[in-house]
Amino acid sequence: MFIVFSILSHWLIVLALSPLFAGIIAKIKAFFAGKKGPSYFQLYFDLRRLFMKNCVYSRSTTWVFRFAPIVNLAAVLVLSLIIPLGSFKAPVHFSGDILLAAYVLGLARFFMIIAALDTSSSFEGMGASREAFFSCLSEMVLFMNFITLAFLTHSISLSTMIGADIPMSWKMAGTVLLLVVGSLFIVLLTENSRIPVDDPDTHLELTMIHEVMLLDHSGVDLGFMLYASAIKLFIFAGILVPIVYPVQTGIPLLDTLIFLGGMLGLSIVIGVVESTMARLRLNRVRNLLLIAFALAFFGFVVKMWKG
Amino acid sequence: MTTWVDTSCIITVFLALIILSNYRVTAMIRIFALQSFVLSLLPFFLHAYSLSGRDIFIVIVTMVLKAALAPSILFWAIRHVSMRSEIKPILGFGSSIILGVILIAGAFWVSSSLKLPGGKPASDLILPCSLSTVLLGFMIMVTRTRAVTQVLGYLILENGIFLFAVSLFDVMPVLIEMGILLDIFVAVFIMAIVVNHINEEFEKDLASVSRSKMGETF
Repeated sequence: MFIVFSILSHWLIVLALSPLFAGIIAKIKAFFAGKKGPSYFQLYFDLRRLFMKNCVYSRSTTWVFRFAPIVNLAAVLVLSLIIPLGSFKAPVHFSGDILLAAYVLGLARFFMIIAALDTSSSFEGMGASREAFFSCLSEMVLFMNFITLAFLTHSISLSTMIGADIPMSWKMAGTVLLLVVGSLFIVLLTENSRIPVDDPDTHLELTMIHEVMLLDHSGVDLGFMLYASAIKLFIFAGILVPIVYPVQTGIPLLDTLIFLGGMLGLSIVIGVVESTMARLRLNRVRNLLLIAFALAFFGFVVKMWKG
Repeated sequence: MTTWVDTSCIITVFLALIILSNYRVTAMIRIFALQSFVLSLLPFFLHAYSLSGRDIFIVIVTMVLKAALAPSILFWAIRHVSMRSEIKPILGFGSSIILGVILIAGAFWVSSSLKLPGGKPASDLILPCSLSTVLLGFMIMVTRTRAVTQVLGYLILENGIFLFAVSLFDVMPVLIEMGILLDIFVAVFIMAIVVNHINEEFEKDLASVSRSKMGETF
């Protein structure tokens, strides 16, 4: 009974707040550009509009293309059950669930890529190949960070790695965690196609990665894809916030508020980073990811040195 | 205060790594200035509870020489030769980073069997981090072809040695430290002049021979 309640409340938070998270980032970016910007709730309106529409399918696509948005949304929803929000344990947690988390992410990405290839549009194929390249680098960085966190907290379950044991680790190895946070932030920007890597606002530019793969989706399918990417951003932020800001009071309501405050802070940081940085040239994104890897590996070496 | 010492050591190595992966000379010099600034604050962190006049003196002198004067001389040098970007490193940026990471791991591995004479240093990260910075600076010197970037590599190497010297701060008389700082200063000064001349020779050469051929790469 408790687990059902926990799953439902977890999903409620993730589903209800993830579009708002993206909305806050968009608002911050509009503020920096000197514009009024769309409402905080713009993504909710967009999703509602899309969910009321029918889908249009190109004749060159197969069932893979129709299947991908559903798999995508389902995969992120499953992923959200493994990720602890704030100081709470995730509804599903067992030893080794970091592997499941990484591969569920991989599954979502795989279906997104083959759906893009399935449309047989050369433009989408280009985006797909870039996504595959960058994500295989960022997955390496993600695993390196997970390894460091696992050594720090002596567990390989996300719920104890980034939820419960982090406050202790800051006292023991704050410098290592500093490196991990920096590296995870770059992973967050890459995985969610934010600015130094990809521009989420442009729709028809040669350098874009994520948006180009959504070009052929329409109606409900597009809604699923947009929702899935908003949830993915929320989940990555949810991994980062408890590491940066590990305050635990023990009172559930207060902990939730602290977590949401941290999320608000992180969305502002992402907005500021996106507004003040220029997008990197495509062949330099690799260097950015290698630096993130160097950060993660350096953190690992320092951790091993400290013992 | 050990946390602060640890953090500045790690930032030093990290900034050296960033310089290694950078492709703009101006950005490299700025990051070098930041690295020197972080390093110059180290005596404060080491003697946080018993600050002496000597500490403050060293901090101020290091800051002025390493974080202000050396970068501005380098800026002056590159303005004179109007050279803005590193053109052809011997090693690509991606492989530079990977090799740098391996060097860092090697430095940590080596320093696990090194024992410092005298007392225990304030933080056990100082020795491996100074070794890593020295190695990274050395690598920048070896793999970059331009004279300015080689000078930068030398300065980063010096920063690593400074980090090492800081750990022996208490046994070291102030005169030796001043000697080191002056050495660096003179070296930068001379090298800036050398760089200037060398690049002027290059400029003449390019202008007369293959300006059009080089056109796009600048």
